[in-house]
Amino acid sequence: MRKPFSLTIVAAALALAGCAITPQAERQLEEARAAYRLASESPHVQRYAAPELAAAGSALKDAERLAAEGGPTELVEHNAYLAEQRSRTALSAADTRQAEADVAAAREERRRAEIQAREREAAAARAQAQQAEIARREAELRAQLLERERLEKDRQTLAATELSAEVKRLETELADVRAKQTDRGWILTLKNELLFDSGGATLKSGAERALDNLAQFLRKYPDRDIAIEGFTDSVGSKEVNQRLSERRAAAVKDALVSRGIESRRIDARGYGPSFPVASNATETGRQLNRRVEIVINPS
Amino acid sequence: MFRLALPFIAALAACATTDPPQPELTAAREMVAQARSAAGTEAPAELAAAQGKLARAESAMQRGHYEHARLLAEQAQADAKLAWTNAEKARAERALRQERSGT
Repeated sequence: MRKPFSLTIVAAALALAGCAITPQAERQLEEARAAYRLASESPHVQRYAAPELAAAGSALKDAERLAAEGGPTELVEHNAYLAEQRSRTALSAADTRQAEADVAAAREERRRAEIQAREREAAAARAQAQQAEIARREAELRAQLLERERLEKDRQTLAATELSAEVKRLETELADVRAKQTDRGWILTLKNELLFDSGGATLKSGAERALDNLAQFLRKYPDRDIAIEGFTDSVGSKEVNQRLSERRAAAVKDALVSRGIESRRIDARGYGPSFPVASNATETGRQLNRRVEIVINPS
Repeated sequence: MFRLALPFIAALAACATTDPPQPELTAAREMVAQARSAAGTEAPAELAAAQGKLARAESAMQRGHYEHARLLAEQAQADAKLAWTNAEKARAERALRQERSGT
């Protein structure tokens, strides 16, 4: 009973709507278009909120279609409203997902930075430990070196002390031997009168004790070589004196070799009247110049 | 003439719809409930709009104005979804700010 009446109204309403939609619906449609344009132009929306944008597009299409066909203005407005809200939802959803992606990226970045920082710290600690180990070893080596040097110095000092005591003892035991320390080492000076008859190069029997002592000394210091140097005064031919001094030095060397000292340790030379130690003008001086010097080389 | 037609259109909508818009109302209720849990402070205006339309949809439904109820339910759902999405956006952007400020 009500229906036929309603149908008439429908026809009337449709005819009315076909002429024009209300300004309110028109405004809503405009707003929907603007919101949809804004959303569809955003690359974020296309990437992150495609389904929301599609739903908005579908509502806008319905609204446009109804408007074009002269459909009910209420439905035009309704669909336009849905299109606007869905467009705004699409934009908002895209912003949400973009922010979430940014958060994930920032966390990943921070995590990577933390790992790098830890690795740097570990590497620094390792390097520091290595430096410390190197420094420790260097200090150890330096200490060892110093200790070795100290021991060597002690040994040398002790050896030098022993040697001078021995030389002093030799000097004390043999009345006619003088010992002095020089740059070349210890030099023992034996007067010729102690060892030889005047003008000859044959050792006197009185020289035995001095030679025994000297040989004993050399056996005690097997690492020290010696030089035996013969000197004369300036009386007489220089050549004769030269040869005499050589023969005398050689005689002393032979005597030491016969007492078991290796020949290669002994260098025997004659210098004749060269290198006087006193004036040849007085008898006392000449007596000092006639001598055999035994140079004990530093080891 | 135009003013007179509007109530008639509402009456027409009620009669022209064959089924009550139960699925639309259900979807609207669910979306509003979801939005209410998140959007109370983040998007209060959108949430209020959604709740108002849902209430109107419920009463239109009770009065048998099914077409009107369907439209209101659909709009309520769209409003609630926007409210919820805006709340999500606010939450995500706050998380991003916190992340960037290193807290």
